[in-house]
Amino acid sequence: MAVRRRFEDVQEGDELPVRSLFLSKDQVRAYARAGGQWSPRFTDDEGARREGLPGMITPGNMSMGLLASFLEAWAGPATLRRLGTTFRGLVLPDRTIRLCAAVTQKESASRSIELDVWLEGDEGERWVLGTATLALA
Amino acid sequence: MPLALDPAIIGQEFDRTVEGPVTAEELIAFARALGETHPEYTEPGPGLVAHPTFCVRFRGGRFYPEILLKLIDVRSGFDAGKDIQLGEPIRPGDTIEVCSTVHEVYEKTGRTGSMIFVVIRYTLTNQRRETVAVVDNRFMHR
Repeated sequence: MAVRRRFEDVQEGDELPVRSLFLSKDQVRAYARAGGQWSPRFTDDEGARREGLPGMITPGNMSMGLLASFLEAWAGPATLRRLGTTFRGLVLPDRTIRLCAAVTQKESASRSIELDVWLEGDEGERWVLGTATLALA
Repeated sequence: MPLALDPAIIGQEFDRTVEGPVTAEELIAFARALGETHPEYTEPGPGLVAHPTFCVRFRGGRFYPEILLKLIDVRSGFDAGKDIQLGEPIRPGDTIEVCSTVHEVYEKTGRTGSMIFVVIRYTLTNQRRETVAVVDNRFMHR
């Protein structure tokens, strides 16, 4: 059984350890299949170019899913209560991305925390921005 | 209100669709595609539940109400973001009722011109009438 992070062990201003990962085209295709988003823009460079895109892109839903998994890898499974995201730029696969978050607020009554979350590229460009609420132990 | 829309459209339900039942295989494939390793999301058995973002798979039977389809070319749109509020976990065997409403329509002007944002709210309920998620899907049209 995975352990939930304790509310007392977290402080406002804490930054989560950044997770870097190489996002391959095959991973994006696997998500598109499992996520019910099998479309040329997410699976095939040529098909995506025909839609005016620079090549196949990562579904926004996948970016959101990666952020959710990143948060729960730190806090424990089933701790995510809310996640809001804005997709600001195209996340192109076959490159390294970084998943990041920082604690902005603690709420004692509900033992929950608010975080800023973002997905960024190698040079720090933020392609997905958002906020999240986690319920801690 | 942009697009000369009747404000009464806001909050109106335009679709109600039941999807599922959800299978364990679907839940596991979804979680593994995200690189998940928590057994709650990846191992078959009585403790299996959906990854928290599995709820974004449910999009109902109609993308927009008819009145919006007359004014907006859906193909011109891009997913601009989502807000999900999670309730009860989704489990294998669940059927999910998706109730779709127009939550918000607004216009923004940026460097590249005017953009219309349409927010569709999907309220997802399981067969026990428990809310599993409320998903606000924000679509942007140029």
